[in-house]
Amino acid sequence: MKSASVKRFAPCVAALLAGILALPLPGQNSKQAAKFNEYQVKAAYLKNFVQFVDWPADSAGAPNEPYPICVLGADPFGAALDGALSGESVNHHPLIPRRLANAKQATSCRVLYISSDEAEVRRGLSAVENASILTVSDYPEFLDRGGMIQFVIDNNHVRFEISLIAARKVGLTLSSELLKIARSVRMNQ
Amino acid sequence: MSWRIAAPVAEFGCFRSAFQFPWVVGVCAMQIFLVPIFAQETSGGLKGLSLQQLGEIEVTTATKQPVQVNRTPAAIYVITQEDIRRSGATSLPEALRLAPGVDVARIDSVKWSIGIRGFGSRLSRAVLVLIDGRTVYSPLFHGVYWEVQDTMMEDIERIEVIRGPGGTIWGANAVDGVINIITKRAKDTHGALIAGGGGGTNQAFGEARYGGQAGDVNYRVYGKGFDRGPEEHTDNSNFDDWRREQAGFRTDWTPDNHDSVTVQGDIYKSSMGESNRIFSLTAPFSYISNQVAELSGGNVIASWDRTEDDGSGFHLQTYFDRVNRSQSTQAEYRDTFDFDFVHHFKLLRTQFTWGVGARISLGFVPQIVPTYFFNPNRRTDQLYSFFVQDEIPIVGDKLHLTIGSKVLHSAFAGFDVEPSARLLWAPSGKTSFWAAATRAVRTPSDIEEDLTQISLRNTSPLAYTLASSDPNFQSEVLLGYEAGYRRLISKQFSLDFTSFRNYYSRLSSVEVGQPFLVDSSGSVPYMVYPVTNGNGVKGTTTGFEIIPNWKPASWWRVQPSYSYLHMDLSTLATSTDRGTVASLEGSSPQHQVMIQSYLDLPKKFEFSQTYRYVSSLPAQSVGAYHTVDARVAWHPNRHLEFAVTGQNLLQPHHYEFGGDPGPLVGIRRNFFASVTWRQ
Repeated sequence: MKSASVKRFAPCVAALLAGILALPLPGQNSKQAAKFNEYQVKAAYLKNFVQFVDWPADSAGAPNEPYPICVLGADPFGAALDGALSGESVNHHPLIPRRLANAKQATSCRVLYISSDEAEVRRGLSAVENASILTVSDYPEFLDRGGMIQFVIDNNHVRFEISLIAARKVGLTLSSELLKIARSVRMNQ
Repeated sequence: MSWRIAAPVAEFGCFRSAFQFPWVVGVCAMQIFLVPIFAQETSGGLKGLSLQQLGEIEVTTATKQPVQVNRTPAAIYVITQEDIRRSGATSLPEALRLAPGVDVARIDSVKWSIGIRGFGSRLSRAVLVLIDGRTVYSPLFHGVYWEVQDTMMEDIERIEVIRGPGGTIWGANAVDGVINIITKRAKDTHGALIAGGGGGTNQAFGEARYGGQAGDVNYRVYGKGFDRGPEEHTDNSNFDDWRREQAGFRTDWTPDNHDSVTVQGDIYKSSMGESNRIFSLTAPFSYISNQVAELSGGNVIASWDRTEDDGSGFHLQTYFDRVNRSQSTQAEYRDTFDFDFVHHFKLLRTQFTWGVGARISLGFVPQIVPTYFFNPNRRTDQLYSFFVQDEIPIVGDKLHLTIGSKVLHSAFAGFDVEPSARLLWAPSGKTSFWAAATRAVRTPSDIEEDLTQISLRNTSPLAYTLASSDPNFQSEVLLGYEAGYRRLISKQFSLDFTSFRNYYSRLSSVEVGQPFLVDSSGSVPYMVYPVTNGNGVKGTTTGFEIIPNWKPASWWRVQPSYSYLHMDLSTLATSTDRGTVASLEGSSPQHQVMIQSYLDLPKKFEFSQTYRYVSSLPAQSVGAYHTVDARVAWHPNRHLEFAVTGQNLLQPHHYEFGGDPGPLVGIRRNFFASVTWRQ
């Protein structure tokens, strides 16, 4: 940093830095202190998704009927999912975690998280093809394969993308709030 | 597996990327995905958070593992926003240095030479460049004026670089490659961003953007500007001072689940210092003029995407683009109107896509100096195109064939066809092979049809070269054969290998005519050596690119690459051309090596560096060089970033490309600091 032009422009840069430092920093008092593992955040998302999905009237289930949040394939959440769901309910439906041994068990789920594995994704999606089950995965081509919500990591933040047509095909209504927050909403396949 | 309309950007104006060139979309699969490794602690702290707040939490990610190799049957490389940010690139050409196999050379502070798989030149003559679906290829000089192509670097979502021909989808001039610059949707740029900095050659720069939402409409507006100083001039001419301002907007309207309408635009103004040699028919006959060129322009793009429940859909796009150039030897004022329509639907088991396009370009090129003029100086060029493409699954997910063709009609060259066939074989999620055969054309431009240029050949006795154009000049043609192999070797290591052999014919040549003496009474007699352009050069280019991707740890990514190019051109027996072959062969590097490294350090620091080696360019009198760029950044919180970038660190200055009339301009070692505040 010894070139003459650096010296020449140093005052401008310093002024600019000073100006920007003086701006308020809203992030400093927010929940930034602890970094979470990505799957803790994803587990929290799974719980939140349930609030923004309307199931078709004929499959909403009896009051107090538990809503299983299922994991198919290798479980990346561990205790994080149990923690996120414990004591939580949506419209009087308690949310319960469930690890599936095979894809056939998936039809009893409300939300089906499929591990990021091509074979699991194929089996899982075909098992719930016409069922009103919200499908979620990290698998990179999940939406191409007919999945509904795909997590993506964007600059160390967990975001998600939605395929609206996949949800609509089985009668799920995703609230506009969910669509608004999605990084992208795909309206075709 | 489908590599069709799949990208998250498909509905939102990622025009040719998603609709016209569906296989590109598979690229989104290149995203590296994450596999959980360790058990979690309690996530109690996250329980009360809303969706919005969850999206704002910074997470640590366990070992990243690409779960599947990219399945695009083309040599594609994607420069992500993260790559751009971490490289410290302040301009599009600097960002393009990150793509392996692309030859980016800085001529001076303002001008660049960019080539893909050979044919590097000041205006990148057979590379098609699109910014949000808008072609920035100039029909006057068959190339791209890199110095006027810009946008907010933070608002770029990604740059797709396709090495090799893409004529079937993109049409004319997508011969050596395609560069597709895609900006973020307005939805992804909410809030304010202010950035600025300076130092070294990048004397000062600043930019601001604000985005938000009103009902169904997301929008953003931005403005940016910079002052850039001259590079190293041994003759102290220091002509290449540069100042530029640009502003723009984007609105995305999503009235319902089927439709999305985007309107966007930019406007810019630039004062560019340049050096030109000017010839005259009287003394001093030849002199160098260092002047400031005034460049300005703007564009507006409107597009409408509709998707039906059955997955079919269309994309309709129209744009207007204005270019004003006022330089010491020439001027150009051009209006371009473009219309494109693409429709895709399922046909039996295949994915069928067809489209039509029309472009009308009205150019006015007034004469500034007596020795350089276009006749006619007003010209309206029309380009019409039609294409069909079908993607046929042959064996389930494993084998795919994509065939199609484009038919073009231009006033310059009449009808041209650009067919292609691409085959993808993916025996497993970890391995894929692809092969392609493509025909692409570069249509003639005004300088090959209408330009007359007189230059001094000798002062004593007085002699001139008279270069005139040939209205019978035909399109240059490429027949390209490519093959590629991608393999995910381990969680940390993947490999992308591509090889190509291109057969060029009817390349532009300089045909020498019979000299004659002009002896009009009252002036000094002089000889005239007439030359005209022809289609007298042909030949092949052969080469390969190796692009491994290595991620030794969650906090370190290394991206080395090597590209090899062998150009074997020759002059037709019927041609009198003498210099074109040596000039083309000697202007693109035979070897390029690049190593990018991205390190996440503790305390919210990050460090990135790029090493590059470029072999010599004999026709440009430029020797081989290697150098290093590096950048250190610190994010005290998610709103602020401080960064210091150093470019060309290994030597005080080095040469990359010729082009200015004086001595070669040295590209300086350069340091600058920047600070970015995001809301």
